[in-house]
Amino acid sequence: MPNIDRREFLKLVGAGGVSVGAGFMLREANKDPREYLIPHVLAPEDFSSGLDTFYNSVCSMCPAGCGISVRTREGRAKKIEGNPAHPVSQGRLCTLGQAGLQALYNPDRLTAPMRRTGEGESASFEEITWEQGLKQVGDRLDLLRAARRGNRVAFLTQGVRGHLAQLFESFMRQLGSPRLLHYDFDHPHTLYAANQQFFGESRLPYYDLANTRLLLSFGADYLNNWISPVHHSLGFGESRQGRADVRGRFVQIEPRMSISGAAADEWIPAKPGTEGILALGLAHHIVAEGNYNGADLGAWTNALADYTPDAVAEQTGVPVNSITRLADSFVDTTPSLAIGGGAAGNHSNGVDTLVAVNALNYLVGNIGQEGGLVLNPEPAGPAVQQHRASYSAMVELAEAARQGEIDILIISGTNPVFTLPPAAEFAEALAQIPLVVSLSSFLDETTALADVILPSHTYLESWGDDFPEPGVGFSVGAVSQPVVSPLYNTRGTGDIILDLARRMGSSSVMPWQNMEEFLKYGWRRIYQRGDSQTLAQGFDAFWTSVLKAGAWGETTNGSTAFTLNPDVIAGIGVAPPEFSGSEEDYPFILHPYLSPNFHDGRGANLPWMQELPDPMTSVVYGSWVEVNPVTAEEMGLSEGDLVDIQSPHGQLRVPVFVYPAIMPNVIAIPIGQGHGEYGRYAKGRGVNPIEILSPLLEPITGNLASSATRVNLTPTGGRVKLVKTGGVSRDLGRDIVQHTSLGVEVSSAADNSIPITEVTT
Amino acid sequence: MSLFSRFMDGWRKYRKPGYYDEFDYHWTMTIDLDKCTGCEACVTACQAENNIPVVGEDEMAKGREMQWIRIERYWEGEYPNAKLSFIPMMCQHCDAAPCETVCPVGATYHNQDGLNAQIYNRCIGTRACAVYCPYEVRYFNYYDHEWDSPLEQQLNPDVTVRGKGVMEKCTFCIQRIRQAKDVAKDDDRRRVQDGEMQPACVQTCPTKALVFGDRKEHESQVYKSMNDPRNYRVLDELNTDSSVFYLKKVDA
Amino acid sequence: MTTETFKLGYNDIHDDVVRSIVKTGPKYYIALATAGGVTLLCFFFPWSYQLYYGIGAAGMNHPGVWGTYLASFIFWIGLSHSGTLLSCVLHLTNSSWRKAMYRSAEAMTLFSLVVAATYVMVHVGRPWFIHWAVPYPNQMELWPNFRSPLLFDVMAIATYITGSTIFIYMGSIPDFAAVRDRTSGWRNTMYTLLSLGWRGTDKEWHRLHWAYTFLAVLIIPLAVSVHSIVSWDFAMSIVPSLHQTIFAPYFVVGAIYSGTAGIVTVMFVLRKTMGFEQYITKLHFDNLGKLLLVLSLIWTYINGVELFTAWYSGTSEEYEALGYKLFGYYAWLYWEMILFCAVAPMLMFSTRFRTSFVPMLILSIAINIGMYTERFLIVATSLSRQYLPDAWGTYVPSPVEISIMVGSFALFTTLFLIFVKIFPSVSMYEVKETMATPKMEPAAPAAGSPA
Repeated sequence: MPNIDRREFLKLVGAGGVSVGAGFMLREANKDPREYLIPHVLAPEDFSSGLDTFYNSVCSMCPAGCGISVRTREGRAKKIEGNPAHPVSQGRLCTLGQAGLQALYNPDRLTAPMRRTGEGESASFEEITWEQGLKQVGDRLDLLRAARRGNRVAFLTQGVRGHLAQLFESFMRQLGSPRLLHYDFDHPHTLYAANQQFFGESRLPYYDLANTRLLLSFGADYLNNWISPVHHSLGFGESRQGRADVRGRFVQIEPRMSISGAAADEWIPAKPGTEGILALGLAHHIVAEGNYNGADLGAWTNALADYTPDAVAEQTGVPVNSITRLADSFVDTTPSLAIGGGAAGNHSNGVDTLVAVNALNYLVGNIGQEGGLVLNPEPAGPAVQQHRASYSAMVELAEAARQGEIDILIISGTNPVFTLPPAAEFAEALAQIPLVVSLSSFLDETTALADVILPSHTYLESWGDDFPEPGVGFSVGAVSQPVVSPLYNTRGTGDIILDLARRMGSSSVMPWQNMEEFLKYGWRRIYQRGDSQTLAQGFDAFWTSVLKAGAWGETTNGSTAFTLNPDVIAGIGVAPPEFSGSEEDYPFILHPYLSPNFHDGRGANLPWMQELPDPMTSVVYGSWVEVNPVTAEEMGLSEGDLVDIQSPHGQLRVPVFVYPAIMPNVIAIPIGQGHGEYGRYAKGRGVNPIEILSPLLEPITGNLASSATRVNLTPTGGRVKLVKTGGVSRDLGRDIVQHTSLGVEVSSAADNSIPITEVTT
Repeated sequence: MSLFSRFMDGWRKYRKPGYYDEFDYHWTMTIDLDKCTGCEACVTACQAENNIPVVGEDEMAKGREMQWIRIERYWEGEYPNAKLSFIPMMCQHCDAAPCETVCPVGATYHNQDGLNAQIYNRCIGTRACAVYCPYEVRYFNYYDHEWDSPLEQQLNPDVTVRGKGVMEKCTFCIQRIRQAKDVAKDDDRRRVQDGEMQPACVQTCPTKALVFGDRKEHESQVYKSMNDPRNYRVLDELNTDSSVFYLKKVDA
Repeated sequence: MTTETFKLGYNDIHDDVVRSIVKTGPKYYIALATAGGVTLLCFFFPWSYQLYYGIGAAGMNHPGVWGTYLASFIFWIGLSHSGTLLSCVLHLTNSSWRKAMYRSAEAMTLFSLVVAATYVMVHVGRPWFIHWAVPYPNQMELWPNFRSPLLFDVMAIATYITGSTIFIYMGSIPDFAAVRDRTSGWRNTMYTLLSLGWRGTDKEWHRLHWAYTFLAVLIIPLAVSVHSIVSWDFAMSIVPSLHQTIFAPYFVVGAIYSGTAGIVTVMFVLRKTMGFEQYITKLHFDNLGKLLLVLSLIWTYINGVELFTAWYSGTSEEYEALGYKLFGYYAWLYWEMILFCAVAPMLMFSTRFRTSFVPMLILSIAINIGMYTERFLIVATSLSRQYLPDAWGTYVPSPVEISIMVGSFALFTTLFLIFVKIFPSVSMYEVKETMATPKMEPAAPAAGSPA
């Protein structure tokens, strides 16, 4: 030890103490403020530490409109469940709905308004304030409105219902612009048109799966993506094993086995686009066998004369005895139900096909009956079907843009640059519009081309409402409320529109400060429909009860008797489908289908959905093309081989998946991957089959015949390893999934035996 | 009593699952294969409820999936008569679990509710339990997982986030069971009622193919379901005495 | 076993062995540095990487949760079986040809066990808690799970290491004393401590012989049971191709087989590098060769039994696992194993082959490669093909695993290299027992050895 005297010692201690103190103070000053514990002297409302708070709302991950109940803990959303009180979801929810949490907490969300700077390759977005963004757009709107050139404003939104739709309508009416388009890739235009033709109303009926005993589905993937999967799954479950002694039977008719096809008792492959012909074949047999006895029997016999089982068998590829057997069982089983849609509706003969399906229901008399097709009452909320834009409407919009007729395009919640085929030339058209405003929450392909971005809240942070379509046989409505406070500097879509309306001088007509106020205003009308008990409680109590329950409903009295317009019968007939390209050059038919994980691509930025194995193939994180096993063998293809798929309008490269249940000349690619933008999880992954679709149309609706593209398949010699979770998807005699026949109890002795099987690698 | 009878007593107790004379609850699940559509809502619900990480494409390519409930696919036949069956597979909570006997540190054991419980902080990661499980429903954490901010805001505070080196598997949402038992205890010490709590997968299944409950309660839905003549257990010949009953798919 | 009389005297033995300990040339240091460097680089460095990032650094996946780490562990336990077991058996049968090589063989056992124990720590997901597998009174009031075959492992291997350490140390005490008497300085201090004051009295010799024989008798069943217990890690599972009663004999035979081949390799190296050509002769290789041949035949038979029972069962599970082994992703490894362990050893029917040093070396290495493959195949193929076909998967080892495998051999070599400089690697007193007792003549001044 060195010798220190007292003085030195004290100096050292002092210096040491001072420096420690200084260091401490320095650290404290530079501390991240989040390290401090902030006590809840004034805790937010509904905030109980350690206890859950549930909020009811409406899911917006697909157009079905299921009611949800969100569990929040200390202001954070933790889990989404179905709302038991909501008639559509009844406490259940699908996989995409469960993933809504990842849309809310997505790392790639747009957090503040932005404006494009620079041109072309060097273009980027800079952050601006709401005032700047709203002013820029609002001033232009005001100018146009004042100059009576409001019709140069176009508004493109995803399909919305309820009061937000009404808001958009009011907004566009103020501008005097007819260019309000609701565009979704998966909107069943042909189904609506078919219903308009047959039932005289452009509204989806209620398909009572729960009470039916035989369901014939012509291409409609009702368990997966078709209009209301949760509700139809509930119906399916109820029909199958929910009733004592009655088991519903399900038949699926489609060229590629979908999830509904896997669940069906019988999967019948029919040539693409001939499902309507098959339906009429069944109808012919029903009438020919004398199983229909309506007054208009003569008209039906005439209309169906050409659809003999032999002729239909030839056109559809379905054997004659299947046709007659199906028709007979459709009549003998009561109640039975026929539904149609999906790929079957996306052909050049789409509307006629779905009219034919409606005809089947009519012939067995299930319209308005339990277990059949029940016509829905008018929705209690705003009905806005007239603005639904088909492919040709979008092409018209693009043309108008190219002609310089559009000054401002506002886009909300839809991604046409991704979901329209390049043949529509939509992205190029956007470049011709001086001001493109996007209200999206994410930087998707369309938003990446915008000039100003005014990002919206996600649905879990927004006010809104919904009147589900299809309805459930009676009037249902639900209010969507925020379950957490907004995470970022975003605003509700309705709030943005109201603000813009104010800026263009429409505040007298649209006086509401925000969406919540507007909703309350709109729901007053619904409140006033109530009975005396409801009216007695006052509107505020009514509103609170609707929010707490998460659903509002109104029973209707009796079922409307339905009479069919005889002109409709005369017009019944399904022409063979048209395809793009010649059969010699393009021997395969491309069957693009909405993937369960991503729907039309909207779910691709959710990591849970990317990692979710595809239900049929178990592939994750990529795309694939499904090829029939015999076709694959003939072409020398096995799993993972890269092939080039070429249509008359484009080309893709994608690995092969050998799929046991697809027709030999049909290949299928799921829709949803192949994003060029849309965040880190979606970008640069897989392929988008929409890119190679040919612009064939269904003439009545202008709907894109997305299942009508012909392609050819060329092996490239390259190979990738398909990432999938499944191993060998064959039982190998191990009886893992055990079967039984109806009414036969299997004895336990058979359960334990393990049969001999061959050695395979 | 004599040494021998004390020994025999202990032996008898030792041979019972979890060494209990009687379970407090006997949680059971039935899965109706005639209703399961393979939609995988249960998979995502489980992921959300139990803080299951997203492992990423590279790890998935190496075969390290992390899904406590998975849907297995089995094709039968060839085109045009090909049929596809789905079977959800999660921890079967076997009363004679092979995994329980092999863990050297006793990180997995049978608890008084008839559940096979995994104790994360005792696990040293020998992975023998995953080898011994014939259903292959145990999943190992090969890395510490990350959540891209702010996705971690969604994490369920009632469930541990597992670190690397630890084995995990379906728990029948034991955090929900625990909460339901707490609520029942506060409410005059009653028992948990049938339907009062559901694991996340059962709660969300859109076709109601999954049914869950206490088989000791003979009025419960699950008791009726597991005694349906269509019931069977997967790999029953291995005598694992699993608590998940499957209802056979009907060919009609 | 014929007794071969060494044409050497006592002093020669002492000179040679002590020289091998004391005299260290640059070649030794280079070898030690290389082995140590490779150990650090290939074993410890990747292992620390794995400790930091997780077992994901290895190639294990779902369902292949066990991989080369466990295969290597079993391989090293297997290698350990020959040394001590051979030494004990041959001691009890009074064979004389074991005398020159048994010390090194026992050392091989010990270091194989050390490497195997380290491998356990590499294999486990959270090795910083591995002490929980040891039954010690603790605050958590938790004992480990005694029903677990893995815990039987812990008990068995701990016993085996303890037994082997005592055995080799005890047998070396007279030799330590001999070296003590011929060295000075720090070595003298060390060997004085190690030899525990051995004076070489009759009583001490008698006690040593008795204790040594006693341990030898105990270690034989211990060795048999250790590898049976290790095999039960697999056999007590219900995985289709693992759940077989033949596993215990299969593993024990395989262990002795691979261990004996390992002894051949080590003996060859020792001969060349330590100058023990006089002590380790053709006789040793001949006898080891005969032993290897017998073991090879038994091993081949057991493999045949496995194939037969799998085929005969007719169950899908066994069939698929068998087919996968023979014709699947790892099929080339299977046939390589058959070639190296069943076909090639047939060469040892020829005496000329058995007594040729280099061919025996090559064959012994080939046998060990084949045996390592066997362990790997047991792990990888069985986990790839279990009951549920949709859960089947393939496991591929990662570079970290291969590096650690290479590093484990380097670790073994490093330990062995240190061993030869501390322990007399040939048992002097036992070899002297085979020599003629020297006449009492004035000793000619022998070169290089102190009196």
